[in-house]
Amino acid sequence: MKRKLVFILMAVLSMVAAAVVSAQQKPVTIVHWYWADNPAYSAQMQKIAADFNATNGRGITVVAQEYPWDGGAYSETLFRAVIGGGGPDTSSFKLTSTPLFTANKLLVNLDDFLAKWKDKDKIEPSLYDTMRKASGTKSVYVMPWNTQVLYVYYRPSLFRKAGVSVPKTYAEFLEACKKLTMDTNGDGKTDVYGFGMRGAKGGQEPWGSFIWARGGNFDNLTTPQAIQGMQDFIDLYKNGYAPPTAPMDGFNEIIANFKSGKTAMTVHHIGSSIGMVDTFGDDVDAFPFPGGVGQWTSMGDTENILLASSKNKEAAFEWLAYLATGKGQEAWCVATGNVPVSRDVQQLPFFQNNRFMKVSIEGAPYAGIFPILDTTTEWINTIWPNTVAAALGGKMSAADAMKQLQIGLWGK
Amino acid sequence: MSGRRRSRGRRFPRTVRFLRALPGYILLAVLLVFLLFPFYWTFVTSIKPQKELYGSTVTYWPTEATFDSYRKLFSEYNFIRPMLNSLLVASVTTVISLTVSLLAAYAFSRYRFRGRKFFMTLFLTNNMFPTVLLLIPLFAIMRRAGILYTPSALILSYTTFTIPFSIWLLNGYLDDLPMSLEEAAMVDGANRAQAFLKIILPMLLPCVVATGAYVFMTAWNEYTFAVMFTNEGNRTIPVALKNFIGQLGVEWGMITAGGIITIIPVCIMFFFAQKRLVEGLTAGAVKG
Amino acid sequence: MHRRKFSPWPYLLIAPALITILAVVFFPVLNAIFMSFQSYDLRRPSQIRFTGLANYATAMHDPLFWQALLKTVIWVAVGVGLQFVFGFMLALLLNRKFPGRGIVRSISLIPWVTPGVLIGLMWRWIFDGNYGVLNDLLMRLGLIHDKIPFLAQQSTAFPSVILTIIWQGIPFFALMLLAGLQGIPEELYDAANVDGANAFQRFFLITVPSLKNTIFVTTLLRIIWVANSVDVIFNLTEGGPAYSTQTLSVYVFNKGNTLNLGYASTMAILLALALALVAVPYLKRLFKAQEESR
Repeated sequence: MKRKLVFILMAVLSMVAAAVVSAQQKPVTIVHWYWADNPAYSAQMQKIAADFNATNGRGITVVAQEYPWDGGAYSETLFRAVIGGGGPDTSSFKLTSTPLFTANKLLVNLDDFLAKWKDKDKIEPSLYDTMRKASGTKSVYVMPWNTQVLYVYYRPSLFRKAGVSVPKTYAEFLEACKKLTMDTNGDGKTDVYGFGMRGAKGGQEPWGSFIWARGGNFDNLTTPQAIQGMQDFIDLYKNGYAPPTAPMDGFNEIIANFKSGKTAMTVHHIGSSIGMVDTFGDDVDAFPFPGGVGQWTSMGDTENILLASSKNKEAAFEWLAYLATGKGQEAWCVATGNVPVSRDVQQLPFFQNNRFMKVSIEGAPYAGIFPILDTTTEWINTIWPNTVAAALGGKMSAADAMKQLQIGLWGK
Repeated sequence: MSGRRRSRGRRFPRTVRFLRALPGYILLAVLLVFLLFPFYWTFVTSIKPQKELYGSTVTYWPTEATFDSYRKLFSEYNFIRPMLNSLLVASVTTVISLTVSLLAAYAFSRYRFRGRKFFMTLFLTNNMFPTVLLLIPLFAIMRRAGILYTPSALILSYTTFTIPFSIWLLNGYLDDLPMSLEEAAMVDGANRAQAFLKIILPMLLPCVVATGAYVFMTAWNEYTFAVMFTNEGNRTIPVALKNFIGQLGVEWGMITAGGIITIIPVCIMFFFAQKRLVEGLTAGAVKG
Repeated sequence: MHRRKFSPWPYLLIAPALITILAVVFFPVLNAIFMSFQSYDLRRPSQIRFTGLANYATAMHDPLFWQALLKTVIWVAVGVGLQFVFGFMLALLLNRKFPGRGIVRSISLIPWVTPGVLIGLMWRWIFDGNYGVLNDLLMRLGLIHDKIPFLAQQSTAFPSVILTIIWQGIPFFALMLLAGLQGIPEELYDAANVDGANAFQRFFLITVPSLKNTIFVTTLLRIIWVANSVDVIFNLTEGGPAYSTQTLSVYVFNKGNTLNLGYASTMAILLALALALVAVPYLKRLFKAQEESR
């Protein structure tokens, strides 16, 4: 009798155990949306997902779907899908979209997940603060992934030719723009421009440095200091130290102009450094944007989010953690050259020996972001490019332009 | 004007005929150069190495041609998939759209009935509304119908927007074909359907081909719906091409190669279809 | 053929088309119309409420709206006008017999076959102020001395995008009019020749009248299409520089992408009304011409 009881007990226990175990290992699928800057990066993301699927041991399968960046319209596509009742579990993300998503309660509050996460402290606390600020709350809704600190690329050979040394102050920088504008073949036309100015969408990032260098900031764009910064910007164009196409020059154009030797300096981040070295070898280097009264450089960012509509939030967070501090972080940042958010990964020789990484880190203390408001996206996409183009074209004064920009961003 | 023969051709020697036609051919050449130069430029860009693109002099033929992008397009990127998807969606859209529109256009042209003008205007206004504002509700509809991320979602969206224009185009052509022909056939004992199939349709064929081309092109090149209603498995060409434009710039080689690969098959298909474009008159009924 | 007795046939024939359209777009369009009467901005969903005609009032006072409307008028008038003229020319030329006609017809289609994103990129590249081939050609021909930043200057950006839309639209008219040309009986031309008509007379007295309906319809459709087209402009300039290429449809598109759907819908409706205004006289003449040619 006793043996039978024991037998039944063991049978029941093992069934319960099996149930528990299988519940934990129930296969789960996570759909992840991302954009990629070229097919090689896309392949890398697919590989990271495959590696995660093979090694996570929890039965989680990530299906990574690529969507076009489309000049930033990626965020709107994602938004429409989620609002329409569809959408993925997780996605790549840009901080500027945070207000739109949080206003519609589409993101998962990550505080609890982070509290239980063992790798939480591998990421700079200041980054978490930035995430909190973007959501306008005391919680973290967005998971850091990688950052890019903007700096100034320059051509040492052109600097030598013009007799200019690396500027350490804002005044020296403006002077350098002038000296580096040269007519190299004596035909009376400028062949090299000092500064590869970016007037199209995205150009607000280098522009911000001018404003802060004069002592202005983004809380009030109509202060005399901010207006002076804008005037400096306009003057560079007016005096011919930037190419005539500047008002519509976007990323492609400033990089093309720099790579072809048409400009001596241009502002971007480490993401383009691999291509730069391919083109110039040692004849390209970088310095952090110098300060005047103040100093600021833009911190580009890419994050990941967990959508509230996800049915498998625990599993989804596992995936995001893998991307942020796990093997996924290393694989992605090595492939793309982006600055890792995980301090461990930052210490790897690959990053420590990279001169552009060094410059990025030099700029990090005063790297910042634009105010993340619900007007920010429209301001970046439409208001800033068109207003600045009008100012550069001489159709609007610096003061008027700054007023327009102030209204566009802050509403008054 | 006696002595003038009917056929001008036999009267003048070939050189004179050629010279008279010359201005026309020159004009044709100019137009063609204008239309085709960007295509040529796209092709040349697709085989230029990167550094030549940004050189200080513009070269009209690459100093060293490289077909790398084409190779990568098919080996690394699998561009065939989006091409097949686009072909499927565009073809099915064309067939459905033409069929449905032909029926409606015939009704509008050959009948006078109450509400005719109202419905014609309704169809016209359908296309006056920008699609960007319809994206969210349409996405929700597709999702609830369960056809999201299948070709059906695109086919349904595209037919909805090509039908009105197709109806109007076909209606316009039908109106230009006088009714006397059908009436004559019906007097001879044929019913409406037979009159349509035997008399009108052959003459309408060029117009059907032209309208079909319009529908096909619209579906082939559409981006806004395609990016929302497809995922990687059933991506169409325009979305696949957009993937080559990232934050870090344009993959010039890939996107121009992809563009060339897209354009050529369609032109070839049209080459076979365009023979139908001139067959209208030989159906015989007109001379009768 | 004109009988008064009721026939169900026409209704049955238009039913499939009608049902398809109503089933799919009816509610979304209705939804969009309702949004125009609300402060429907998805960036501030808690503030969505009925606001009556407030959006419309805002549009009336919005200088960008009026500028966009003006740009749209120019865009359509010049764009469609010149597309039509050159497309007609091309149709007439392609109607002739010459060796390789089939191939020439097929390749004339290329601007129409090209995906929008590629059109934008290639023309951006052609217009480029530093490496563009247009500048290069003009300089080689000695027509200009300094490169022109076509898309960066307010004075040259709008004409440049118009050039691109003309380029894109010529094949459409060429194809549609070519199809229509096939329906004109040869006898009419022969008879005219016997009477001693010259080329101009043949064209204006035979060709054009025979194509009346086709011309009306294709130009009306193309007007609606071009007025609503966003692709070309957006991929070239996104509406800049300084809003100089922002037509109303591009303005609506940009607003729609900020998810301020209420205001975007309002402007879309105003655009549709403007198009309706243009369409009404067209439709009147069209319906009249239909009666005449019966």
